[in-house]
Amino acid sequence: MDLSKLKRRPAYPFETIAVAISFSPRCQSILSEAKRLSDIFGASLLLLHIGDKTSEKEQYLDGIMLAAKVDPNHSRIIWMEGDPVDTILQLCKLNIVDLLVLGALEKENFLKFYIGSIARNISRKAKCSVLLLTNPTREPLKFKKIVVNGVENPKTINTINTSLYLAKHLKVKDITIVNEMDVSGLAMAISDNSTAPQTKELKKNLAEDSVETLQMIIDKCDAGDIKVTNKIIKGKPGYAISKFSKDKKADLLVINSPDTHLNVFDRIFTHDIEFVLANLPCNVLIVHSRV
Amino acid sequence: MIKLAHSELIVLLLSISTMLIISRIFAELGKRWKLPVVMGELIVGIILGPTILGMLYPDIFGYLFPKTGNIPIALDGIFSLSVIMLLFVAGMEVQLSQVLKQGKVAVYTSMFSMVIPFFTGFAVAWFFPEIFSISNEPGPKLLFALFFGTALSISALPVIARILMDMNLFKTNIGMVIIASAMFNDLIGWLIFSWILSMTNQIHSDTLSIGYTIFYIIGFGLFMLTIGKKIIDKTLPWMQTKLSWPGGVLSISLGICLLSAAFTEAINIHAILGAFIAGIAFGDSVHLREEAREIIHQFVTNFFAPLFFVSIGLKVNFIENFDPVIVAIVLVLAFVGKVLGATIGARIGGMSKNQSLAVGFGMNARGAMEIILGTLALNAGLISKPIFVALVIMALVTSITSGPLMKKFID
Repeated sequence: MDLSKLKRRPAYPFETIAVAISFSPRCQSILSEAKRLSDIFGASLLLLHIGDKTSEKEQYLDGIMLAAKVDPNHSRIIWMEGDPVDTILQLCKLNIVDLLVLGALEKENFLKFYIGSIARNISRKAKCSVLLLTNPTREPLKFKKIVVNGVENPKTINTINTSLYLAKHLKVKDITIVNEMDVSGLAMAISDNSTAPQTKELKKNLAEDSVETLQMIIDKCDAGDIKVTNKIIKGKPGYAISKFSKDKKADLLVINSPDTHLNVFDRIFTHDIEFVLANLPCNVLIVHSRV
Repeated sequence: MIKLAHSELIVLLLSISTMLIISRIFAELGKRWKLPVVMGELIVGIILGPTILGMLYPDIFGYLFPKTGNIPIALDGIFSLSVIMLLFVAGMEVQLSQVLKQGKVAVYTSMFSMVIPFFTGFAVAWFFPEIFSISNEPGPKLLFALFFGTALSISALPVIARILMDMNLFKTNIGMVIIASAMFNDLIGWLIFSWILSMTNQIHSDTLSIGYTIFYIIGFGLFMLTIGKKIIDKTLPWMQTKLSWPGGVLSISLGICLLSAAFTEAINIHAILGAFIAGIAFGDSVHLREEAREIIHQFVTNFFAPLFFVSIGLKVNFIENFDPVIVAIVLVLAFVGKVLGATIGARIGGMSKNQSLAVGFGMNARGAMEIILGTLALNAGLISKPIFVALVIMALVTSITSGPLMKKFID
């Protein structure tokens, strides 16, 4: 497989949007949403189904494509058999997909979460950005509040820029960029040898460092007329932003793709993206920066 | 129920208050020269113990810390509780997710910083037992070699965290790698040490076989870190909102710690393992509020820790048991094994030469954890007093030198 076209390809603009078709009850809503996004971004639409091709399925797909007003001349359907996760990932690479749209339950059952559902396993491994829709409807989703993770990481600048690109096209006026301040270990470090003013000073310095880091990242972005709010929250990375998005009733949470290959141990000793995947607080966009 | 007599209660309260107040004064004095608090506490123990007070004023020493009657029993109970609490808070800071998060560099650093000092220590103890006056019988020699390897491979998270905080490296890449690797070292080190302790007990009481002990340790650890952790995670939000704050979460967390310690003690694995694992399960919860964590830390570090570390000086005469040869060997092995191991691990993990050396010296701090390990080994009859004194000196020297040596390699 020639992956040279994928390397260093920017996370946006979205030129090719793919949607996984599973023939589930929510299938039409997910397709409608993917179609709407492809129209907004001027992207070509790719429909992927992993499974056997039968006349009943073809008939059903024609029906939902018609209902979603998908123009067969401006879209492609790929039918392929094999392992759903690996095949979808391979197809996304081959077709240089920029955004993959998937439906996902807010919370998987205990066993399924540890084994890994299709949508979540794709999210962990994808080499393109993935949009997980928790509650897709046939009517267009309105993204009013977007929360973006502003963690200190080389990928973050691309993630914020992708969020701004998304916000400009979706006409979102308000974005909150959040930096999570992980204070684990602080209690241990200050427990035996710090006076009250020293402890206060240490905590203040940590908070100021976080604000400064976040501001430096934001300053590098071109927000245009979008109102960007920065926010520092305390807590474990991943969990804190997930809770914040839920409390804020955000419509979309945008996070970086994982830095390392994730496996079942990352679910048992949950951290970062796994906290988000364990309980999706809202629709989630995982930006793959390809850097 | 046996009760303390009126006069015994007065002496008990006097001895505890003396230990607490004087150790606080020494800790505050030591702070001016950036010395670890534990050093001040140990010095107080040496002053109040047989080394100085016992030699100069044996009557006062005998009055404050009598060797017969109910007071030593009461003090022993308090010291045992102290070490359990210390291990609980040590466990509270072990977050295995940090190791996974830091990826291969943390895995390599923690593996190499354990394996190299462990085998260095094991090999020296196994092939040259006469240096440490250990018998050549395979059983005791094997246990001592295993202990010595473990003692050289353990790290001291609280000291390391403090050093990184002072150097403004706490949340940097190097800082996170050191913390994550030290966490992993502590976990494996305490698991191995618990097994060694239960094996030592087995020699004395013929209770459990090696297989059963390993099975119980792994089984208990797995249960607490998966199902136990989930249960704590689910119930903690309820505890923190429905029960009195912060009293509710304090009593339940310390209760779970003691329950867990009682369980491991009952199945002939030392109580410390139960406390340590309960600490991990509790401290890793995303729902544990920072205030609750701070209160538990403050309570344990400022009440139980001074009592425990002062008690060490009460039990051992540091001048009589100072053996320069053993001290020198322990120091050299500790520095070489740990610094070399952590540096190699960090380098293989992808860090630069200077960063790797900084990680190596950062990981070298042994601090309070080494002293706790040594004390438990001494109490169990695994090591002699001269080896214990050497371990204490090594813990202090590595803790004091870690920061300045690290600084040399930070850009």
